[in-house]
Amino acid sequence: MHHAYIDKFAYQDSPIHRLDSRVKFIVVFVFTAVVISLPRTSLSIVVCYAVGPFTILVLGGIPLRFAFKHILLVSPFVLVLALSCPLYDKTPFTVAFGPFLWQSSLGWVRCFTILGKFVVTMLALIALVSTTRFNDLLAGLQRLGVPKLLVIQLGFLYRYIFVLIDRAHHILRARAGRTLRSLGFKAELKIAGAMLGSLLIRSIDTAERINIAMQGRGFDGRWRSISKLQIRRTDLLFALMAASFMLGLYIFVRPVLQ
Amino acid sequence: MAKAIEIEDFSYGYPDGTSALSNITLSVEHGQKVVLIGPNGAGKSTLLLAMAGFVKGTGKVLIEGLQINRKNLKKIRTTIGSCLENPDDQLFMPRLFDDVAFGPLNMGLEAEQVKLRVADALQTVGLTELADKAPHHLSAGQKRAAAIATILSMAPKIITLDEPDGSLDPRNRNNLIKLLGSLPQTLIIATCDMNFAAVLADRAVLLDKGRIIADGDAKKIMSDSKLMTEHGLEVPSVRSPKDHKMK
Repeated sequence: MHHAYIDKFAYQDSPIHRLDSRVKFIVVFVFTAVVISLPRTSLSIVVCYAVGPFTILVLGGIPLRFAFKHILLVSPFVLVLALSCPLYDKTPFTVAFGPFLWQSSLGWVRCFTILGKFVVTMLALIALVSTTRFNDLLAGLQRLGVPKLLVIQLGFLYRYIFVLIDRAHHILRARAGRTLRSLGFKAELKIAGAMLGSLLIRSIDTAERINIAMQGRGFDGRWRSISKLQIRRTDLLFALMAASFMLGLYIFVRPVLQ
Repeated sequence: MAKAIEIEDFSYGYPDGTSALSNITLSVEHGQKVVLIGPNGAGKSTLLLAMAGFVKGTGKVLIEGLQINRKNLKKIRTTIGSCLENPDDQLFMPRLFDDVAFGPLNMGLEAEQVKLRVADALQTVGLTELADKAPHHLSAGQKRAAAIATILSMAPKIITLDEPDGSLDPRNRNNLIKLLGSLPQTLIIATCDMNFAAVLADRAVLLDKGRIIADGDAKKIMSDSKLMTEHGLEVPSVRSPKDHKMK
């Protein structure tokens, strides 16, 4: 089965792809923290911050359509949160974007700021995952001091989530092939429970077999790897440019736009 | 010199009391290519697991003269490499290179030696170009070859393979036969596919209901249509790798 892999562009070659995974991770982490910490009414500055991930996506040769498609997939959760803002906060508010001014309510401004922050931080995350091979990202996280156990768990998650999705598809298809009429909500719920149970038991079986495969190859609880990460001048230059961009917007542009 | 594998009166039952293997006695010489044939549920996979010390029953299992016990387990697992039925269980790392390097790293080899072992193993199975790929980006045939590479990189003297031909198309199956035929190691292959078994093995061991029914020359056993039919198997339609290719 073919999945829409989130990392399908990670194997390309571009100046962004060649950057050290640790540097990219730290930049995206700080960028996300900065954008999230912006006041809830600073939509204009959030829009300015979008330039960063857009530039990385373009330089990395990642189609914007691909990025927005993945943002749409996870947007329902944030949409619920954002769209509830105009309902409970109707305080009049003047929106300013440079020389342009218009009247709205605080709820709507908060709604668009939440959506803006979500889109911008997601773009940064997609830029990171789409320009970094997952194993390099894991090696980078390990070198940055993230607990090994967590890194191993992430590695297994990445490796087996597709296997699990395949299995779930197979179960759903087998069920659809034998469903000739609607059985009613209660019966459907019972079947869904049985399907989830089957998926869980198969996952436990798989975990046991993976344990056998690991022990068969001498695994004794210690995780060993050959890491070939190396920070070069271009990585430092990228970090410097990213820091200048984030600080420049925060110090010089934010007071003007707010 | 000790035999590659010696099993004496080995029995194993599942926790629910069902007998999986009963009084198995088997010895395998170095360099032999042995197929374990038998219907589903005959105990082939359990026997392979017992050979690598993954299931503990009564009786003796010796690998190169070493009895399977906690003290010898590490040495035994560098001597015998187990390739599981589903390559997705065997390939658990995010990148093929790391998967093939996993065993040699656990053996305590230096980084440079590990890289050489990985390069050799990937070259043997023809996947050098895919070292940086994630296993879920490989085809079924490539996954199977990759799973074998994860074992070859540990340079074991004995390799066990559980249904290695499962869900492979004819081209990939022929490639696998060529690959397994070229390996100098002692091979123990469990399979239900008699054509696959016929072109690979010198010796066949027929298992049914956890017992050894027949053990001997592969051609002789697999051409006995009465014996094969009695145990839910069929006489292979090919006898040699050449015939298999023509089919």
